[in-house]
Amino acid sequence: MICAGIDAGSRSIKAVLFDTERKEVLASGLADQGVAQERLAADLFEKLLRKAGLDRPRISGVIATGYGRHAIHFADTTVTEITCHARGVHWLAPDARTIVEIGGQDSKVISLEDGGRVRDFAMNDRCAAGTGRFLEMVASRLEMSWEKLAELGRQSNKPALISNVCVVFAETEIIGLLADGQPLPDVVAGVQNAIATRVAALAGRFVSPPVYFTGGVALLAGMARALEEVLACPVRVAPRPQFTGALGAALSAAAPTAPAACSL
Amino acid sequence: MNAPPRKLSLEEWDGRYDQLRRDGLREPAYGGPLRRHVVRENDFRLQQLRFDNSPAALRLWNFLLTENERLHQARAAGHKIVGTMKDLGTVPVMAYALPGVRAFYPDGAWWTPCLMECSDKLLQQAERSGIDASFCPVRAMLPAFENGRHFPRPDLLVCSAGAICDDFSTIAQRLEHLGYPIFWWEIPRRRHPDFGEIACPLPGNLAAPKTQVDCVRAELQRVGQALAELAGENLDDDCLAAGIRAANQVRQRLDSLRRLVYSAPAAPLPALEMLVAEMLAIHFCSDRDETIAVLDDLLAEVQSRARRGQFVLGPQAARIFWVNPVADLRAMNLLEELGGRLCGSDFMFTHALDLIPENLPPLEALARAALADPMIGPASDRAARIVRECQAGRAEAVVVSRIPGASHCAREGEIILEMVRRQAGIPAIELEIPPVSDAMRPSLASRLQALVETAQARRSH
Repeated sequence: MICAGIDAGSRSIKAVLFDTERKEVLASGLADQGVAQERLAADLFEKLLRKAGLDRPRISGVIATGYGRHAIHFADTTVTEITCHARGVHWLAPDARTIVEIGGQDSKVISLEDGGRVRDFAMNDRCAAGTGRFLEMVASRLEMSWEKLAELGRQSNKPALISNVCVVFAETEIIGLLADGQPLPDVVAGVQNAIATRVAALAGRFVSPPVYFTGGVALLAGMARALEEVLACPVRVAPRPQFTGALGAALSAAAPTAPAACSL
Repeated sequence: MNAPPRKLSLEEWDGRYDQLRRDGLREPAYGGPLRRHVVRENDFRLQQLRFDNSPAALRLWNFLLTENERLHQARAAGHKIVGTMKDLGTVPVMAYALPGVRAFYPDGAWWTPCLMECSDKLLQQAERSGIDASFCPVRAMLPAFENGRHFPRPDLLVCSAGAICDDFSTIAQRLEHLGYPIFWWEIPRRRHPDFGEIACPLPGNLAAPKTQVDCVRAELQRVGQALAELAGENLDDDCLAAGIRAANQVRQRLDSLRRLVYSAPAAPLPALEMLVAEMLAIHFCSDRDETIAVLDDLLAEVQSRARRGQFVLGPQAARIFWVNPVADLRAMNLLEELGGRLCGSDFMFTHALDLIPENLPPLEALARAALADPMIGPASDRAARIVRECQAGRAEAVVVSRIPGASHCAREGEIILEMVRRQAGIPAIELEIPPVSDAMRPSLASRLQALVETAQARRSH
């Protein structure tokens, strides 16, 4: 049986085709998010089918997750990112007990029980300061790519203190720090620490190791280290972190105990 | 008339109402189609809500939405109007013990921006009075007093002080400075009796030192004198005892309704109607006798549905315990759309659901009831009751809904979540719900859906 998972995030759409008998990912891909979410997702899905040499009838189930999941009407049903990241990370790393996921516009901390069942979770609600949006804003203000941003952060020996908890005010603070002659790597590392601190506040007291870090922001070198410092425990980056949501969605499509369909 | 339970949009209720009328529906004087509240009162939010389809629910909604009309009629009939602020269920019991006195709850104006989808501009007007968005939406009460378009100006305004929310205290003080004299009474922060102190048991398995009960009793005596002077009547013990018995009739009905609805294998009544029904405990929606009739109808409907095995949601719905009332009523619909149902609630006034002791001198009984207010004691007391009720109601998850700007729930949410996780062992989330939550709907829906998924997934293990 082959199942598909589509994670329609705020910045990108990720898709995974999963063979439940061979227990392996047949194809995965990513496309930039846009206004025509469903068309973008459908194009990506078709591309993956071609890549895997499959046609649509071979796919037993499609589950959409992510911020834009309700726009993916060709999916059989929707499941939230909480459930999908939990399933995806558990499949890749069965020892995971805590998942930190930082995406484009939200961040989550998920606590897992034995067997990968979600015990509890927390999500940011009205603030973007603990999300990839903060890094995007900094990258855009400094006119550099995420990769370059990460590289710079690694060069810091003395991260700057970003005291504002609001992204908009923090932008002004960052400009001020640079104008005062703070080295760029220290400012970038300071931003990473600020994000990690917000996520740690979200995590509260339910962080049990091993902690796995997933979502697109996990790809940024330096972020895992920043999280380790504030959480005071080792943080492992999940394999192919930007795809764990889509993988979890594909696994949910395959699992007979997949949660009930959402009526939205 | 006995259609299977369903949730209807306002549009669907138009047709349902016509059908009910053709079938001979008999309504009280305040009855009529729900649509009229949109047309006459600009209660636009009703167009976004889904309502229970029973005549009993129609009566409940019409009762709620005609309160201001009822107050104006009472004033025209020469009744005395008492605004009881920041008091969830004690002073109204005293006020209704007197003939010709109506108590209402000006704080209830916090739902007006939601119902009118902010078209009334009450929140903006409050900002102009210096009470901005960092305060609870109850600030809508200020301009509602000033413009006189909602409730009539009360003959007496009573407000508790002391262990109350800082933001409410500020709003009430501002109101007084705007020319609305307030009769203040003190409620101390409830504490556990020290070693060697005489402890008084309170409703809800709580206790307070006798000194605190004595203090509140003396304060309520002052309130009683003010009410009696206003009414020109004597508020003696017999009169108060009769008022307590009548209030307990409301509480008994609510208790039966809650037990039936929350313990049923599936939900016989939607979450939204339960929230509105429970709110009647605070001040009887300005008509105590009618409150009893409204609740009798609801109870009969729920009993009949339970007997027939007919429910508004299937048994697979996740059993959710809900903490705090929501500023946007739409949130209660959303929970059910996402596969959850209520199996318990703490809408901040659980003490107004507990029976007032009838075996004590009336003022002593009222003082003890007032001191059992979950908002004036340690958050851990409130959390402990929530945990107990979660366990009794077999809750699978808890939602703590936060009211933007409300100082009483700034930190208590964390305490409740922590205790629920640790002692009840179930997932819990905190959500902030503003008066019109449309812009936050995707994020609210994600978290509620994730909670429901988590609760349901835990069943299969």
